[in-house]
Amino acid sequence: MSTPVASVDPLETMPVSPYAGVTRWTLRLWFAALVAFLYLPIAFMIIFSFDEGATPGLPITGFTLRWYDEMLGNRQLLRALANSVTVAAVVAVLSTIIGTMAAFVLVRGGIRYPSVTRIAFTLPIMVPGVLIGVSLLIFFARAADIPLSLATVTAGQLVVTVPFVLLIVASRLQGFDRRLEWAAADLGATPRQTIRHIVLPLIAPAILAGALISVTLSIDEFVITWFTVGNQPTLPTYIYTRVKFGVTPEVNAVATVMLVATLLIFAIATVALGRARRWSRRARLAPRA
Amino acid sequence: MNAHGYDLSRRRFLQASALAGVAVGMGGITAACNAIGGGAVQGGTFNWMTWGDHYIDEQLKAIEASDKIVANISELAGNAEGFAKVKEVKGQLDMISGDALWVPDAYFAEGLIVPFDINELKVSQQLYPFARQFEIWTKPEGYLGYPFGWSPISIYYNAAEVSPAPDSWQVLLDPKYKGRIVVENQPEEIVAYMGKAAGFDDVYNMTDDQLATVKGLLEQLKPNVLRFAQQATDSVNAMISGEAWLITGNFGNEDRVKDGGGPEIKGYIPKEGTVGWMDAEMIVKDGANTSLLFPYLEKAEQAENIAANFIKHGRPLFSEKAYQVLVDQGEKDRADRYRWTESEAILSQTTLKGPGTSTAKSIQLFNEIFGA
Amino acid sequence: MTTRVVGGATLAPPTAASGGRISSLRRFAPFIPAGLILVGLFFVPLAVMLVFSFWSTGANLDVIPVWTLENYANFFENTTYVRTLFKTLVIGAGVTLVSLVGAFAVAYFLARYVSRRWARVALLIIIVPFWTSYLLRVYSWQAILGERGALNQVLMGLGLISEPSRLFVYNDIGTFIVLTYVYLPFAALVLYASLERFDFTQLTAAQDLGARPHQAFRHVLLPQIRPGLITAAIFVFIPILGEFLTPSMVGGAGGLLIANLVANFFKNALIPEGAAVGFMIAAFVLVLLIAFRRYLRVEDVYARG
Repeated sequence: MSTPVASVDPLETMPVSPYAGVTRWTLRLWFAALVAFLYLPIAFMIIFSFDEGATPGLPITGFTLRWYDEMLGNRQLLRALANSVTVAAVVAVLSTIIGTMAAFVLVRGGIRYPSVTRIAFTLPIMVPGVLIGVSLLIFFARAADIPLSLATVTAGQLVVTVPFVLLIVASRLQGFDRRLEWAAADLGATPRQTIRHIVLPLIAPAILAGALISVTLSIDEFVITWFTVGNQPTLPTYIYTRVKFGVTPEVNAVATVMLVATLLIFAIATVALGRARRWSRRARLAPRA
Repeated sequence: MNAHGYDLSRRRFLQASALAGVAVGMGGITAACNAIGGGAVQGGTFNWMTWGDHYIDEQLKAIEASDKIVANISELAGNAEGFAKVKEVKGQLDMISGDALWVPDAYFAEGLIVPFDINELKVSQQLYPFARQFEIWTKPEGYLGYPFGWSPISIYYNAAEVSPAPDSWQVLLDPKYKGRIVVENQPEEIVAYMGKAAGFDDVYNMTDDQLATVKGLLEQLKPNVLRFAQQATDSVNAMISGEAWLITGNFGNEDRVKDGGGPEIKGYIPKEGTVGWMDAEMIVKDGANTSLLFPYLEKAEQAENIAANFIKHGRPLFSEKAYQVLVDQGEKDRADRYRWTESEAILSQTTLKGPGTSTAKSIQLFNEIFGA
Repeated sequence: MTTRVVGGATLAPPTAASGGRISSLRRFAPFIPAGLILVGLFFVPLAVMLVFSFWSTGANLDVIPVWTLENYANFFENTTYVRTLFKTLVIGAGVTLVSLVGAFAVAYFLARYVSRRWARVALLIIIVPFWTSYLLRVYSWQAILGERGALNQVLMGLGLISEPSRLFVYNDIGTFIVLTYVYLPFAALVLYASLERFDFTQLTAAQDLGARPHQAFRHVLLPQIRPGLITAAIFVFIPILGEFLTPSMVGGAGGLLIANLVANFFKNALIPEGAAVGFMIAAFVLVLLIAFRRYLRVEDVYARG
C-alpha cells in the first residue's frame, strides 16, 4: 500500500490574513521609529556634552573635550554618580526579592482580602512623589530620629519600586497554569522544588521586568530622594541643585559616560549569557560516562 | 526538564554567575569612584550644605593638602527646602549657606545656628567694612554668618528686539512681549516682582489689599510668560535661541548669553526697586565638627580664592581685597560690570528675599493665576 | 488520583492529605517585608502628613498645631485646583491611550516575531535611555521642539512652514509628547511580559475555526492579556498625576498640572497646605479606582484553579 500523494501540513494551506505581510512590516517600521524617537533626545544630550558653550543647548559653538576633563576632576559629581549606582543596585535587588515573595502570597491565597491589598499596593504609585518624600523626611527626622543617608534614600525608593514589582509579578502569576505544579507534585517534587524549577523560570520575564523597572525608577529618582538624602548626593539631586547659576555640560558628559557604560555592561552580559547557555547545552548533551 | 525543554538549574546557575560578575564589576567601578571621591583624611571632615558655586574643587583640594581639612558637601537648592531639611537634621551638619532674610528671621530664630565674633577671623578684614556690620546679621551674641556673595534680581533684555530701552518692572506686562518672557520657576518671587511693579516695598509681607492689586498684575503677566526656567541655564538658553526677549535673573547673564553665542543683551535693575539676596556661611548649632570651620574659612575666603571663584561663577562677592586682586589680574572691567564696588549702595535699595507673613497667600495666588 | 501522564491526563489539585498543611503564618511570612514597607514607610508617615494637613504654617515656616479646615476649603474655593486636576486627568488619559497603543504594537512585534533572546535585547535598548538623567533628556526635548530647535529647522528646510512654529513646546502639546516619551517604554515592558507567555498558535486555531483575524484578536488575544493591559494602564496613568518636572519644563506658563501646584507649596516649605492638596488628589484617584474596580480585577478570565 502506498500513498503517492505527499501529505501537506494543514497549517501550510490555512488561509493567512492577506494583511499579514503588511502588518509585519508596519510593525517593524514602528519599532524602528520608536527606537529613533527614544534616542533622539539622547543624541542631542550627547552632542551637547561636546559643545564649547558653557550652557548646554543649541546652537553648537564648537567641539571640545573640556567637559569630560572637568567631569573627571569634579569629585562631587563623581561621588554623586557612585552613590546613584550603588543605591540603584541595592534597590533593584531588594525590591525584586521583596516584591516577588509578596506576589506569591498575594496570588496564592495567603491574604484575607487580596483585592484590597492590591489597591493598597497601588497607592504608593498614585500618591504624588512630593507627598511621599516630605512625609518620609518628617517621619525619619522627627518620629524615628534616623539620620538621613543613602539608607533612607533606599528605603524611600523601595516604597515606590516594590509595588511595581509586586503588581507585575502578580499579574503574571495570576494566570499561571497550576496544573504544571500539580504534575510536578505528582512526580514527587516538593513545593520548594516546584517553585524553584517550574514556577520561577516561567515567570522569570516578569521578575526581570520588575527588576529593570526598579533600576530605571531608582537611578534617576529625584523627588523622593530629594527629601530623604543626607550628606551624600545622588546624581539627580546633584543636577537639580545647580539651580542658582546653572548647569554646565559636565553633567551631559556624565550622562553620556553612564549611557555608554550601561550599554557596554549589557553587551557583555548578553554575550556572557550566550556563552553560558552554550556551555550548559554542551554539558547536557555530552555523553555520560 | 520542564515544558521548555532545557535544564534550568544549571542554566540559571550560569546566568546568576554572569550577572554576579557584572555586579562585581559595577561594584568595582563604584569603589573606584568612591576612592576618587575622597577617602578618610586625618585632620577632619566637616559637613557643609551649600550651593554649588560656593566652592571650587581645586581650592578644596588645596586646603585638604595643606590643612588636612575635608569638606563633605551636600547640595542646597532653595532656602525653604534647605531650611525645612536643616530643621529636621541639624545634628548632621556643621555649616550651611543661606540667603539674607533666612539668616536672621528663620535660622537664628529657630536656634539652628550659632553666632560668632566675625572679627576673630583674620580673613574677615579683607571684606568691605559694611559687610561685617549688616544690621540684620548683627545680634548681641555675635554675627550670624560669614558674608560671601550677593546679587539683586535684574531684568535682561534683547537690545535688538526690545525698544524703547526699559527701566521698570512694567515692561514685563507690556502686551508687545506676549510669549517672550522667561522667569524663574519661583512662585513666591514672581509674586514679589509684581509687588515691586505695583510699587510696594515689603513684598514678602503684603496685606490682602496689596495682594489683590498684585493679582491684577499677575493676570497681565501670564500671557507674556513663555515658560518658567528651572535653572538659570534655561533662561540663558531662551535668550540665546531667541525664544525669549526678556528674562529675570541674577547678575552675570550678559556674559553667559554671550558665551553661549547669543545676541547682545543688556541688564538693568528696575527703578521701582528689586528683590535680591546676599548669602553667608553659617555655623550650625550642635554640629560635630564645627572646630574645623574657622581654619577652613581662613583659607577658603582668601582674596585669591574669592577672585578665582568670581571668574568661574560670575557674581559679585563681598571681599574688598579680592577686587584688588582682580584689578591686578586685569579683570577690572569684568568686576565693574558686576558692580563689585557698589554692593553697599545696591543692597540698601534691595528687598532681601525671605519668608514672610504673606508667603502662603502668595503661593495660593500664584496657583490661582497660573493653574489651569 | 488518576495519573496517566499522556495527553488527557487528569490531574487534580493536591488534597490536604497529600499536599500537606502549611500553617497560614508560614504562608504569609514572605509577604511581611513588603507589608512592613507599605505600612511603616508609607501609611504611617502619610498619616502624620494627614494630621499636618489640618494644621497651618506660621510666618517663619513653623507648623502651627491649630486644627483648621482652611487648607481643604481652599481646594474648592480656589477653583484652579479642580480645573487643573481635571486637565491633568484629560492629559493623563490621552497619554495612556497613545502609550498603550504604541507600546502594544512594539510588544506584540517583539513577542510574536522576534526570538526571545533578541526580544530581551530590544527591551534593554528601549529601557537603557531611561537610566540617563531625566532633566537632561527633557532639556534635549526643549532643544528639539523649541523655536530654533531641530524640528523647526527640519520643517522649515522641507518647506512645510515658513517661520518657526511654537506649536510643539511650552504648551500642553509639548507636555503630551514628552510624557508619552517618558511612559511608553514602561508600558512596553509590562505588555511584553504579558504577551510573551501568550500562545500565538491560538490565533491560528481560531482562524482555522473560521474567525477573521480581527475577531481572533478581539476574542482570543485581548481577554488573555487583559491583566497586562490593565497593569500597563495603571503604570502610565497614575504616575502622570504626580508629574511636575515635565510640565514645568516643556508645558509653558499655562501648562501647570496638578502636581506643580502641590510642588509650589512644598518648595516654599508650606507643608500643611501642600499636604491638603496632595491628599485631595490621592482621594480622588482612590475613588476612581474603587469605582472602576470591576474592570481592574486582574484575575484570569478562565478562572483556573
